[in-house]
Amino acid sequence: MSELAREPSAQRATNPVSLTGVSKRYREVAALDGVSIELTENTIHGLLGRNGAGKTTLMHILTGQAFETAGDVRVFGEHPYENAGVLNRVCFVKESQRYPDWFVVRHALKAAALLYPDWDETFATDLVHDFDLPLDRRIKKLSRGQLSAVGVVIGLAAQAPLTIFDEPYLGLDAVARQLFYDRLLADYAERPRTIVLSTHLIDEVSDLIEHVVLLDRGRVLLDGDAETLRGDAVTVSGPSGAVSSFISGHEVLHREDVGGMARATVRGVAERPDLGGLSFEPVSLQQLVVRTAQSRRDAEPRRRVLDGPVGAGSANGNGGSS
Amino acid sequence: MNRLLTLLRIQFLNWRLSLAMPVGLLALILGINLAIFASIGDAAPPEGRTTGAIMSIYIIIGVGYLQSMTQLFPFALGLGVTRRAFYSATALLAVVEALAYGALLLVLSLVERASGGWGLGLKFFAIDFLVVDDPLLQWLVYAVPFVAAAALGIFNGVVFKRWGQPGVYAVTIAFSVVLAAAVVLVSWQGWWPQLGGWFAGQGTTALFGVYPLVLALLLGGAGWLVIRRATP
Repeated sequence: MSELAREPSAQRATNPVSLTGVSKRYREVAALDGVSIELTENTIHGLLGRNGAGKTTLMHILTGQAFETAGDVRVFGEHPYENAGVLNRVCFVKESQRYPDWFVVRHALKAAALLYPDWDETFATDLVHDFDLPLDRRIKKLSRGQLSAVGVVIGLAAQAPLTIFDEPYLGLDAVARQLFYDRLLADYAERPRTIVLSTHLIDEVSDLIEHVVLLDRGRVLLDGDAETLRGDAVTVSGPSGAVSSFISGHEVLHREDVGGMARATVRGVAERPDLGGLSFEPVSLQQLVVRTAQSRRDAEPRRRVLDGPVGAGSANGNGGSS
Repeated sequence: MNRLLTLLRIQFLNWRLSLAMPVGLLALILGINLAIFASIGDAAPPEGRTTGAIMSIYIIIGVGYLQSMTQLFPFALGLGVTRRAFYSATALLAVVEALAYGALLLVLSLVERASGGWGLGLKFFAIDFLVVDDPLLQWLVYAVPFVAAAALGIFNGVVFKRWGQPGVYAVTIAFSVVLAAAVVLVSWQGWWPQLGGWFAGQGTTALFGVYPLVLALLLGGAGWLVIRRATP
């Protein structure tokens, strides 16, 4: 499933994050199911997937806050659980981050400054100004957006070699989100480090992320270079017959038929032949992610009866609904 | 060690709340008691001019540690702090803080005795059953119960982080059942006189300096086992 998992082990040992066959089970539910991924150094990784796909569980395991039930977890080459040498270099900003009730914004920033040796106070001050954060207000009294901004400031100013943002934008308006992306990118260009950005606002971050991991129901559906993935898929439309013959033998992520015309999204097609009135459109990362998740759901045998009708697809992934 | 000192600093980032509030509340409670005993005049006989309000400072400190576990712990873990470091720092803080508050109460008890019970014959700090002759032992009699209060708060906080509210209920119910069973057993066997005699024979130092320490160590050890798998 994952191309990168086949890298030689010498390469793997140096990656900031290396997971092999990691699973996490809660009684009958598998939050993560055999996840093997490599996150390379100095890269912005997008961890994508729907709610409940296992993104947060994965990040909790990476930071030693949750425990895998099977598999091998390596962060900077070691297991992160209670590992001060590893965790000192990791900053995890999550959407549901709890702050002590008695802290004002200044205290939260000061705590992070004390804990991270590379903390950039000037950068933090700039960011506080950018996000218009009231330093002396109780964190309890902040709006949802301001609360998210506190996390963003900590995550960026901490300058941790592995920085993990779990949907850090809740309550931030479009302008503030763009500010976050801009500041992240500018700082990253100046001081490269490994950043994991978990999000479902895929369109917003598609220019930002270099490597994509798509999780669905605890499994890795896509794992690859963002640029390659985008070029890898194409939407073709035209007369049904021509579309059908063009896409046969390829992985069809989505197909819809209206009248005699068809429109299909396929992966792994390099050529764009000028024949039979076929037209091609590029596929955005968001479309690719949505279509991939949908087609995998249709193709996959149902895990639970309640999920819906069985047998909507065939084993080779070609049986998209039509 | 460096990490521990950093965590101690983080505990005191809002020092007004962490330090001044308990002391301020103690002053307030003392003030209220002084006002009450001044206003009732001779209505209370000399042997009745004792108050147990000193208990409140122990509760305040215990609750502070409970909140430290439920609120500061999840925050610190997100910033790459290990459970071990956080727990050690909290335990260290509990001991240091207990010694400091113990010293404060010792000084205040000396003032109370020297001033004839704040001029009112009031026993707020130097309550008869707390008083021992040796100043060092007196310090421990005041200090050690703070460690136990902190350990109780920490243990409850850790249980909450590990198992949530059902866990706290379960621990509380289990404790109540054990206590009730003990009461039934003692009543059934008619052991109350012996038990009373045993307590009376223990002496202040044992009751306030030794047993709370044993309790704190047991709770502290149990808390460590629980926190190891706690999630923030």
